[in-house]
Amino acid sequence: MTRLRAQDLTLGYDDRAVVSGLDVDILDGKVTAIVGANACGKSTLLRGLARLLLPRAGAVHLDGTALADLRTLDIAKVLGLLPQTPVAPDGITVADLVSRGRYPHQGWFRRWTDDDQDAVARALDATGTTDLVDRPIRELSGGQRQRVWVAMALAQDTDLLLLDEPTTYLDINHQVELLRLLRRLNTDADKTIVVVMHDLNLACRFCDHVIAMADGAIVAEGAPGDVVTAELVAKVFGMACVVVPDPVAGTPMVVPA
Amino acid sequence: MPTTTFSAPSPTVGAQAALRATRRRRTRRAAVVTTALAAVAAALFVVTMMVGSFGLTAVEVVVSVLHLREDPAVDFIVRDLRLPTATTALAVGLALGASGTIFQQLLRNPLASPDFVGVTSGAGLAAVSGIVFLQAGGLAVSGFALGGALLAALLMYVLAWRDGVSGYRFILIGIGVLIFFDGLTGYVLSRAQLFEARQAMHWLTGSVGQAGPEELRLLLGALVLLLPTALLLQRQLRALELGDDAARALGNRTELSRAALLATAVVLVALAVAAAGPIIFVALVAGPVADRLLGPAAGGIPAAALVGAALLLTADLVAVHLLASPLPTGVVTGAVGAPYLLWLLATTNRRGAGG
Repeated sequence: MTRLRAQDLTLGYDDRAVVSGLDVDILDGKVTAIVGANACGKSTLLRGLARLLLPRAGAVHLDGTALADLRTLDIAKVLGLLPQTPVAPDGITVADLVSRGRYPHQGWFRRWTDDDQDAVARALDATGTTDLVDRPIRELSGGQRQRVWVAMALAQDTDLLLLDEPTTYLDINHQVELLRLLRRLNTDADKTIVVVMHDLNLACRFCDHVIAMADGAIVAEGAPGDVVTAELVAKVFGMACVVVPDPVAGTPMVVPA
Repeated sequence: MPTTTFSAPSPTVGAQAALRATRRRRTRRAAVVTTALAAVAAALFVVTMMVGSFGLTAVEVVVSVLHLREDPAVDFIVRDLRLPTATTALAVGLALGASGTIFQQLLRNPLASPDFVGVTSGAGLAAVSGIVFLQAGGLAVSGFALGGALLAALLMYVLAWRDGVSGYRFILIGIGVLIFFDGLTGYVLSRAQLFEARQAMHWLTGSVGQAGPEELRLLLGALVLLLPTALLLQRQLRALELGDDAARALGNRTELSRAALLATAVVLVALAVAAAGPIIFVALVAGPVADRLLGPAAGGIPAAALVGAALLLTADLVAVHLLASPLPTGVVTGAVGAPYLLWLLATTNRRGAGG
C-alpha cells in the first residue's frame, strides 16, 4: 500500500531533464532515505514528489489522484515538505515561525483555533523547542534552528513529511539528534518520512528504506542491509570501499578502501 | 482524501501555556500599538486643521467636520479650505504606508519600497510627459501617473521574471528602471516650455495641497477597496516570506498571491502619487517603523498604513506651518528620509541582509 507514488516521472529545469522516466513508490509508515552523489537528481525528485516542480512527463499520485488534479491546499494538509533553504523573516520568533505551518488549515477569514493551538504545541513538544518560543530564530544554534523548521513542518500536521537535506549543514551530533527525532516521529506519530541526505552510513542506521540514485536514475532500492554493498557504492559515488556491519546497530557501514 | 489518520497525542501543558502566553503578548501588543497609532493619526488630522492664519480649537474643528453645528465662518475655513488638504495627507499617507510595507515584505528587503524600485518614477515620467507634451491638468495627470506606475511595475515584473520573481533581482532591475525613468524625465523637462516645466517641477516635488477633488475621491475609493484587500492578503504574505519553496509546500499559490499583492500595492502607490505627486520616503520608512513598534516580523499592514498617515500629516504640518516660508511636503519628507536611508544602507550591509 502506498499513498505517494511517482509513475514514469520526468523532471527538469529549463531545457534540461534531470530525472526521466522514474517509477517510485514511497512506502507508507516507513522512513525512506534518498541518497546519491551531488547533482544526481535526488533533490529534484523530492521537489517533484512535493509538486514544487511540475512533471515534464508522467505524474505523481497522492492517494490515487494525480497531484495536478488536486487543490494545492488539500495536498498541503496531507503532504508536507521542508525545503533545503527556507527563509526566516528578519527577527522572527520561534512561536511565530512554527505557527506559520498552520497556513493550509486556515481559511481567508478563519481565526486561530484550538486545533491550531494543539498542533503547534504538539510540534514544539515533539521537537523539544518549547523553551525557545520567544527566541528569535537568528539567535539559535544550527541544530536548534533546524529543529524549529521541522516543528513548522510538523505544525502543518501532515501524514507524509518530506525533508530536503535537513542534516547537510549540521555537525555530527546534531545530525544524529535530528535523525532520531525523525525516527521518533515515525514510530510515535506514524508519519511517513522521506529524507534526502548525503551520509550513507547515517541513512543506513536510521532509515527503513534506501533509494540510491545516480545520473537521474534509481540504481537500487530496498532495506539498507539488502542493497548497500561495495558494488552499489562504487556505482553511486564512484568510490572503492568495504562495507562492514555497524558495531552498534549492525546496519551496513561504508568504510573507504 | 483522508486527512490526519494517526491519533495525535495531546500536547503537554507546558507547551500549551508557553505558546498561549507568547501569542497573547503578541496580540495585545498589536492591538495597543495599532490603536495608539490610529489615535495619533486622528489627533494629527485634527491639529492640521486647527493651525493656520486663523487658529481654531480642536472642538471647533471636530464639530464642523462632523456637521454637529453650523457656523458659516468656521465651516468655510474647515470644510472648504483645510479639510481637503488634511484628508489628502491622511489618505496619501495611508496608501504609501500600506504599499511600502507590502513591497518590502514581498521582496524581503527594507530598501524595496515603491519609490526605490522605479514605480514612483514611472508615475512621475508619465505625469510629466502628460503635462509637458499634452498640457494635461487635473485628473488627466492622475491618469498618466497611474498608467505610468502600472507600466513600470509590469515592465519590472516581466524583466525580473525567472522561475518566479526573486527579491534581489527585482530590486536591481527596479533601480535600473528608476535611473532610466529619471533620466527620461529630465530629458522631457529639458524639452518643455517654461510654464509647463514649472508646473511639472512643482508636481514632481510632491505636495498634499495640490490634489483636486476628483483625485482625492479616486484615492479614497481605492483605499476603501484595497486596504481590506491588503488585510486579507496578509496571510499570503506571511507564507511567501518563508521563501517560495516553503510557501508552495504550505499550499500557497505563490505566483498568484504575489501578483495580487503587487497589484494592490502598485495601485495604492499610483493613486497616492497621482493625488500628491511623488512624495518620497514615506513608503520606505512606514513599514520598518511599524515593525519596530509591533515587534520583529509582525508585518502589520494597518500599523504601517497608520504610521504613513502620521508621518505625512506631520511632514505637512512642518512644511506649511512650522517653517518660515511654506515648502512642498515632499521637500520635508526628503530631508527627513535621506538620513534614514543612509542609516538603513549602512546597517543593512553590515548585517549582510542586503540581498
